Amino acid sequence: MTDQAELLPGTLDLLILKAVSLGNAHGYGVLLRIEQISGGALEIQQGALYPALYRLEHQGLIESEWGKSENNRRAKFYRLTTPGRKRMSEEEAGWNRLVAAMTAVLAATPQQIR
Amino acid sequence: MKHRLPGGSGVRGVVARIRSLWRGLLRRRDVEAEMAEEFRHHLELRTDDLIRQGLAPGEAARRARIEFGHVESHKERARAARGLRPFDQLGISWLDVKLGLRMLGKYPGLSLVSVVGMSVAIAIGTGGFGLLRALVYAELPLEEGERVVALQNADPRSPGNPNARAVHDFVRWRDELGSVTDVSAYMTEELPVTVPEGEATVAPVARMTASGFRLTRVDPLMGRVLLEEDEREGASPVVVISYGEWQRRFGADPNVLGRAVRLGRTAHTVVGVMPAGFGFPINHRYWVPLHLDPTAYDVGGGPAITMFGRLAPGVDLAQAQAELSTVGQRMARENPATHEHLRPRVLHYPRAYMGIDNPSRAWMARTAQLVLSLLLVVVAVNVAILVYARTSARMGEITVRSALGASRRRVVTQLFAEALVLSLIAAVIGQSLVFIGFSWFEQRVLQGDTMGLPFWVELGLSPVLVAYVAGLAVLAAVIVGVLPGLKATGKAVQSGLQQLHSGSSRLRLGRMWTALIVTQVAIAVAVLPYALYVAGPSISRGLARPTYPVEEFLRGSLSLEEGRAPAEAAEDDDAELIRFRQSATELVRRLEAEPTITGVVLASEFPGGEGVARVEIEGVGRTGVWLNRIDPDLFPLFEVPILAGRGFADGDATTGSNAVIVDRVFVEEVLGGGDVLGRRVRFAPDAPDVETPWLEIVGVVPEFTVPPVFQPEAPKLYVPRAPTEATGPVQLAVRVGAGAAPVSFVVRLREITESVDPRLHLNELETAATAEDERQQSLLFLALLVVAVTGSVLLLSSAGVYAMMSFTVASRRREIGIRSALGAAPERVLRGVFKRAGMQLAGGAVGGLLLAEAIGRLLGVSLFRGEYAHLPPTVALLVTAIGLLAAWGPARHGLSVPPTEALRGE
Repeated sequence: MTDQAELLPGTLDLLILKAVSLGNAHGYGVLLRIEQISGGALEIQQGALYPALYRLEHQGLIESEWGKSENNRRAKFYRLTTPGRKRMSEEEAGWNRLVAAMTAVLAATPQQIR
Repeated sequence: MKHRLPGGSGVRGVVARIRSLWRGLLRRRDVEAEMAEEFRHHLELRTDDLIRQGLAPGEAARRARIEFGHVESHKERARAARGLRPFDQLGISWLDVKLGLRMLGKYPGLSLVSVVGMSVAIAIGTGGFGLLRALVYAELPLEEGERVVALQNADPRSPGNPNARAVHDFVRWRDELGSVTDVSAYMTEELPVTVPEGEATVAPVARMTASGFRLTRVDPLMGRVLLEEDEREGASPVVVISYGEWQRRFGADPNVLGRAVRLGRTAHTVVGVMPAGFGFPINHRYWVPLHLDPTAYDVGGGPAITMFGRLAPGVDLAQAQAELSTVGQRMARENPATHEHLRPRVLHYPRAYMGIDNPSRAWMARTAQLVLSLLLVVVAVNVAILVYARTSARMGEITVRSALGASRRRVVTQLFAEALVLSLIAAVIGQSLVFIGFSWFEQRVLQGDTMGLPFWVELGLSPVLVAYVAGLAVLAAVIVGVLPGLKATGKAVQSGLQQLHSGSSRLRLGRMWTALIVTQVAIAVAVLPYALYVAGPSISRGLARPTYPVEEFLRGSLSLEEGRAPAEAAEDDDAELIRFRQSATELVRRLEAEPTITGVVLASEFPGGEGVARVEIEGVGRTGVWLNRIDPDLFPLFEVPILAGRGFADGDATTGSNAVIVDRVFVEEVLGGGDVLGRRVRFAPDAPDVETPWLEIVGVVPEFTVPPVFQPEAPKLYVPRAPTEATGPVQLAVRVGAGAAPVSFVVRLREITESVDPRLHLNELETAATAEDERQQSLLFLALLVVAVTGSVLLLSSAGVYAMMSFTVASRRREIGIRSALGAAPERVLRGVFKRAGMQLAGGAVGGLLLAEAIGRLLGVSLFRGEYAHLPPTVALLVTAIGLLAAWGPARHGLSVPPTEALRGE
């Protein structure tokens, strides 16, 4: 799987927040959504998703509710809270700054440091 | 950019965390089940997907499990994510907590006794800790506040009372010290403050060097702080005001700078307002420049000042002390007469304020704290005895649980959790008691004193205090839960298992526990009489009011301030005395001329505040009495009738008179009653070769005041006040005519004093009623404290005796049953049970009486003679009776065991 990128430490939380912000989802749905929107480029160990979900819930960034899933079974659906939305945009902005900085660094040419 | 998400902050984040934790602890099983269901659901969906992708069902399920990873480690990380891990590690579950709560209800007596005892102990421990922290270990809330130090000239001859006539030292230290910067000085004056179109009030004013402001590193809210230029001779008077005064007295006027305010008789211009919370050096509201000119005074003279500074960067207290000592030694060599005995010292600022100026005093403060906290250990040990007794009744349960595989750790953890429930409830109650006490203390201090508490003192709920209470609660839970738990799960479990079938699985009460209870009875018997001896009179004194019309009096302390101006300082001591005498006399004359004033007298003490003096009574010997030197017309002004003989006449006030008056307590307690007129007393000479003149009792008055502190008997001796021997202080009593409130005369009184002589100083001015209220409150508070502590000791010792008896009876249950079955009379059986308890109680009681006598010798009051002689035996009987009563229940219970049941174990 050479086309899959390794997840940077700490980015899983941001990915979950983003996935949940697109609409309520259960655990497996969150996983599928991340894979789908990343075009399969981001690999997440499936079980590791849950401790992250519980941590975000514990911190009040997402909320959960039991409902019926597509296969008509009981499932727990996650939804973004207001603090979660705020946190997501903060982290998104931070991420963009980092990406811009990294891009600038990587695009540097020898002429630039003269 | 931070990669980690620290989570929701603020109130919502905290609420979410608490809710999640609460749910995790309370509904652990539901949470675990939900987690398992969620994982299962995930695996099913994934398996379905894989089947759709063409895998065989079996292979799809296998793949889904592999992709998911190790379920148990995900669950473990999920628990950690919910903040449950610390609880898992401790092994306390909600079940344990629920069991603890159920135990509270199941043993209400035990719970009540334990909670009451521990609440009082925790309240006392926490209160002591809180006060010490707030007063002694506090840090100044200033930038690098811990580096602000007090500088003193300690006088080993009077500890805690440094020599303050230190203008020369101040200049020297300021100019020579390198390790302390911004050496500053201040003096406090309580002056009437008058704002145009406002009423005058008395406020604490700091006369402070400008360097004092620089040292605090606090910028003014408006305007400027004091500057060196303001200190110059002839500079126009300026004042910096506090935020509170700006709000209250100036209506938060934004244009306050430049406004005039009168402090005493001098008009000052407001040049600055300090920010809220600033009260440096103590809790001052106004700051005016302090002009110190050493050339105006001799060494060792000048006004009384308090000095402070800031440690230079990189310098510690010891280095500063070393340098200061060197400077001090030079000063002592140059001025041996005034400085030979003085020891300059650098001290932690708040500690210096509290008078904790040497290691032994700091050590005393720490010991006091330790003793206060130890009280909880004593109480907890008692509760442990009770819990141990209860644990013995539950040995069957514990044995079965151990047999079913519960580890020792698990059983002990459960007992610990149960104890923690008890101690946490006690902690909450104890902490609440402390806050009630603190707010009362604060109110009282603020009411009685214009200065109030120092600005750095915070008697509130601090995280440290909460942590301390939590620590105490855990300590108590360890003693109460873990100790009996370890003992109960030791060898006893093994033998318990063997005896389980007979239903007699019980613990034994070892010798150590028995000895503990006997000791406890002894302590109760020894301490209770003294507690009653203190509490009883404290309550009655606390409720008593003096017989004179206290609400018509104003009281204050009059003294002559050391001259500040060079011209005044040149006056010699005799001149100072004459000036004080004349000024005081003039003040009295001026006050008597006021229409609202009924009368004015001076005395060495305000009635009720007398100090002890040693006197020799002809034909009786030496004794301590409470002495007051009074103006002749004090008795008429205070409406005190003369019971025998005569009152003082004007002639008695002249030197050479030998007339004294005593009160009824003096007649009865010291002279043994009868006609005492003409009997003679004299002040006990300091040295054998010194003769003091004999004085003759010419009159007897009733007791018309209530002593400020607890004193069993306070014989009073009144001597005419001789012409002033020192430049103060002398106490002023002003009676304001009925119909006028004394408090309304305060400002006028200060104005008159100031106009009579600007150097005549009136301190501690208050209404006599306020002082009375304070006295009553502190006595009642003391009484309440004593009653609470002794009450809980008595309660716990009775409970201890009850527990001990339960043990005794329980361990002899079978024997009692068999003896009853064999036809022994119940009385005989009972006698046997009570014999051992009775012996132990009697042993404790006798030991207690001996201890009481020993305490009496130590304190110098024996309860075995005189009015209170009945107290120790009464208490001994009472404690024994309570013990026997406590024994009655278990004994009766033992007798009621049907013989068949008792024999079943055989």
